[in-house]
Amino acid sequence: MQTSSTRASLAVLRSAPALLFVAVVVLFAILAPRFLEVQNFANILTQSANVAIVAVGMTFVLLLAGVDLSVGAAMYVCAAVAGLYFKDLPAPAAMALMTAIGALFGAINALFIVGLGIAAFIVTLATLFVGRGLALHLSQTKMVFAGDPVLAFGQGGFLGISYAVWTMAIVLLLALWVQQWTPYGRYLYAIGADREGARKAGIPVRRVVFATYVLCGTLAGLGGFVSFSQVAAASSGFGLQKEFPVIAAAVLGGTSLFGGRGGVLGSVFGAILIQTVQNGLVLLNANPYLYPLVISAIIFIAVLLDSQRTRILARLTRRQIRIEPGVEARRSTAT
Amino acid sequence: MNVTRRAFNLGAILAAGTVILPGAVRAADEKTIAIMFDSLQSPFWVTGFDVLKEKAKAAGYQPLESISNLDDNKQFEQVQSMIQKKVSGIIIVQTDSKAVIPAIREANKAGIPMVHFNRPPAESDAKSSAVQADNRAIMKSTVQALVDKARKAGGKYKAAILIGDLGDQNAIQRRDGFFDVVDQNKDIIEVVARISTEWNPDKAFADLTNALQANPDINFLVTSSDFLLPQIQQALKIAGKWKKTGEEGHVLFAGFDGDEGQYAALKDGYMDVGGVQNLFYEADLAIGAIEKMNKGEEVPKLLLDPGFVITQETLDQDRDKMWGYAVWKKANG
Repeated sequence: MQTSSTRASLAVLRSAPALLFVAVVVLFAILAPRFLEVQNFANILTQSANVAIVAVGMTFVLLLAGVDLSVGAAMYVCAAVAGLYFKDLPAPAAMALMTAIGALFGAINALFIVGLGIAAFIVTLATLFVGRGLALHLSQTKMVFAGDPVLAFGQGGFLGISYAVWTMAIVLLLALWVQQWTPYGRYLYAIGADREGARKAGIPVRRVVFATYVLCGTLAGLGGFVSFSQVAAASSGFGLQKEFPVIAAAVLGGTSLFGGRGGVLGSVFGAILIQTVQNGLVLLNANPYLYPLVISAIIFIAVLLDSQRTRILARLTRRQIRIEPGVEARRSTAT
Repeated sequence: MNVTRRAFNLGAILAAGTVILPGAVRAADEKTIAIMFDSLQSPFWVTGFDVLKEKAKAAGYQPLESISNLDDNKQFEQVQSMIQKKVSGIIIVQTDSKAVIPAIREANKAGIPMVHFNRPPAESDAKSSAVQADNRAIMKSTVQALVDKARKAGGKYKAAILIGDLGDQNAIQRRDGFFDVVDQNKDIIEVVARISTEWNPDKAFADLTNALQANPDINFLVTSSDFLLPQIQQALKIAGKWKKTGEEGHVLFAGFDGDEGQYAALKDGYMDVGGVQNLFYEADLAIGAIEKMNKGEEVPKLLLDPGFVITQETLDQDRDKMWGYAVWKKANG
């Protein structure tokens, strides 16, 4: 039976990311007067959009107990191709092109992971290097500039909300729908929790895994487009190590690295939390040496709380075998 | 026709000699210099690479080039390959100041002089020389020129600085040069934003946007590198502050490096002052150091480029010394 104190601590741990977010907001609101301005929150959402979009794709991969380390490289390849060869494309066409390149990148990953059965970590680590190498080769390591239509997307908006935030919101809604109300969404959790069991239950595991890596690549391309439209140019550092904030956002939002648990809403929330901390430190004019310390401390706290939650949940869901008083008495009589 | 074994062997030796000898003679005559960069990730490095090749040719060397794509192991193998080719010297831009030390030792063993271009190696007993811009001094002069303009215009200023990677000595020296000056002018300048960009354009854009949101009265801006200009322009545009000198809301703005973006921003009136690394002088220093070391002369561990400061007012007279102008001219005719 759950004791009331266990229930209380479980409730706290369940809402740990939200509580952490509230604590961060309250702290910065006290210390930095302009933090609570509407425009500042709009900035936070706009700046976290690219990481959040990529984190949605990564969440699906993590739900399968997989990983995709090549998302940053895919972003760079997409930006390099779009900036070098299709600079004057209208923004929607550039967006479609970059997501298509991202999808192709994801399909290559999926081909090796599903087709040849190579571990996702190895495959995506390899495509990380291949992708960055390809983009460096295409750009000759030079800075690649975004065209004016793409820049206009980065600066523009609708109903006072930036296009980047609209894109993030649409991706999130679609992903939520897929995750909650489609067989594919349910398959993700089933495969992540028990791959062999899922296969025996008739779930098309290979097809689902293939589609998930393609989806992750597609969203990396889309995230790359949003980022490219904001920063105006892609140098050789574009997308570099982007996989880390993306995975951190998913983990902060409660997605397990071991599969079967979590969701896209939490990941978007995680991306916003990371950007909120970054934003608050700038507003405070904090010592730049503190930035990595504070951000890594928050990620550490979130992961620690998550592991505690997992431990308590595991304890509570463990099967309780209660021996009826009469049974024990009958056993002793029989012997 | 019958060919005896002796005739065949003689013919083979003659044929081989015909092919190999001219090459060997040419190799003996031809002096080569290895120009080894880790990447060409900004206009500074692209132009530096080109200028070094031109200067090497002008000094009578055939340049042999390599790019390691930020891979220290690959660069070490490239150095070994250049040593095999018996180059007269190696000019190198390494990614990691410590990882390059085994490569210096290999060059020392082969008796081939090595010069580090713009990035000195970590302290060690390995023998090499480095050419570097005097980052702190150039930044000091640049910020001083901007402060002079601020004093001339009058009023109080809220300043922001875009700092580079805190693990990069060049970035730290530039940051220190900035504070050397602003700390002496606290009566008119208050630093309200120290933005750690980590040389990441994404982060530079986001954090500058945030700083401008928190401090809409920022009117004094210094960047530690011109390669962030596209992001600075974007952030200032969004804040409605991308204005020319003399226009309402203009931000006093200084750049650092001297690339074509800096030239264009100065020419168009968006930037007020630029710190320029004298790339042509640095290339001369590097080639000269190789030649001196080959003659057995002692060369200091660090050769400094004092650089110079350029302003909108001095642009026309000094632009020919500015490497970014050469790039801009090539691109714009």
